Amino acid sequence: MVRLKEVVKAEEGEIYDIELDADLLKANEELAARNRELLRKHGVMAVDVMGAIGSGKTTLIEKLVQALKGKCRIAAFKGDLTTTIDAELIGKHGVEVVPINTGKECHLDANLVRRALQRINLEEIDLLFIENVGNLICPADFPLGSEKRIVVVSVTEGPYMVVKHPFIFMGADVAIINKKDLAQAMGVDVKKLEADVKKINPNAKVVATNCRSGEGVIEVVYALGL
Amino acid sequence: MHEFSMTTQIVETVLQEAEKHKAKKVTEVHLVIGKLTFLGLEQVRFSYDVLVKDTIMEGSKIYIEEKNGVVKCSSCGYEGDFMYEDDPMYHIPTPTLRCPKCGGVVDIVGGRECTVKSIKLVM
Repeated sequence: MVRLKEVVKAEEGEIYDIELDADLLKANEELAARNRELLRKHGVMAVDVMGAIGSGKTTLIEKLVQALKGKCRIAAFKGDLTTTIDAELIGKHGVEVVPINTGKECHLDANLVRRALQRINLEEIDLLFIENVGNLICPADFPLGSEKRIVVVSVTEGPYMVVKHPFIFMGADVAIINKKDLAQAMGVDVKKLEADVKKINPNAKVVATNCRSGEGVIEVVYALGL
Repeated sequence: MHEFSMTTQIVETVLQEAEKHKAKKVTEVHLVIGKLTFLGLEQVRFSYDVLVKDTIMEGSKIYIEEKNGVVKCSSCGYEGDFMYEDDPMYHIPTPTLRCPKCGGVVDIVGGRECTVKSIKLVM
């Protein structure tokens, strides 16, 4: 029989220092890594589409779906605060869309994407577009587990959108300067915006587009390596 | 921009830990927040004060240590601050992923954390 002394416990009113080291953003990164692993296991290429409000993210996805529908099986997640308007726009092209409503949150996170991934049969798709909430700030803090990241800005947002938001472009594989047909009317130099992206992130591919007409969309397909 | 939800997670993490130790009160919370996160410290403090009301964290002190952004170059081994390029057209120093030493492309290796480092409990 082992005889133990009385267990030492904290006394009433004693002060305890606890080292926690809990990184809350790391928790999202770990979930993102798990999403990436799951997608890779099923051979699905996921593309995170980030960008400013009204820059043309949904129109770009619609045009990419039209261009690629015959070549591969596509699904989309569409992040929005409360509506499913954009989800329906993408759905009209005959692909499966899971709307994700964040409620009040300014970005998608890896946990919301994890839950959306449970709603689709990954065996039945090859390509997944994940449209983030319109925002050039917060999505930079929350990787989702995608293989490629697109950032969309348009000339109607003015000439400073890229230099004002360097960190989102640092994480981009492909940067899109959209609505190039309106550049002259807006007095914005598309070439300067392209150069701004290249300066901040030399590895990013930059494509100028007019997503409404479809101009430049095929270059986006090549830039994504599809 | 997402300070309120991040701070909610911070408070939940601390409360869970305090409960595990059956603490009566939390008196101090030490955070480390990277400068490359989009978390405004003022907004974190404000959210904190709102969120700890009527919990055992009420009245606790929050200490925030800021961490600089750190980049690393895989070609020449440089580790440190970003290279900033001054744009004569805009007069804004823009951080870039160019290595200030060799001109290669760097990776971001630090400054993105939001960590609950330690807490002080009264038993």
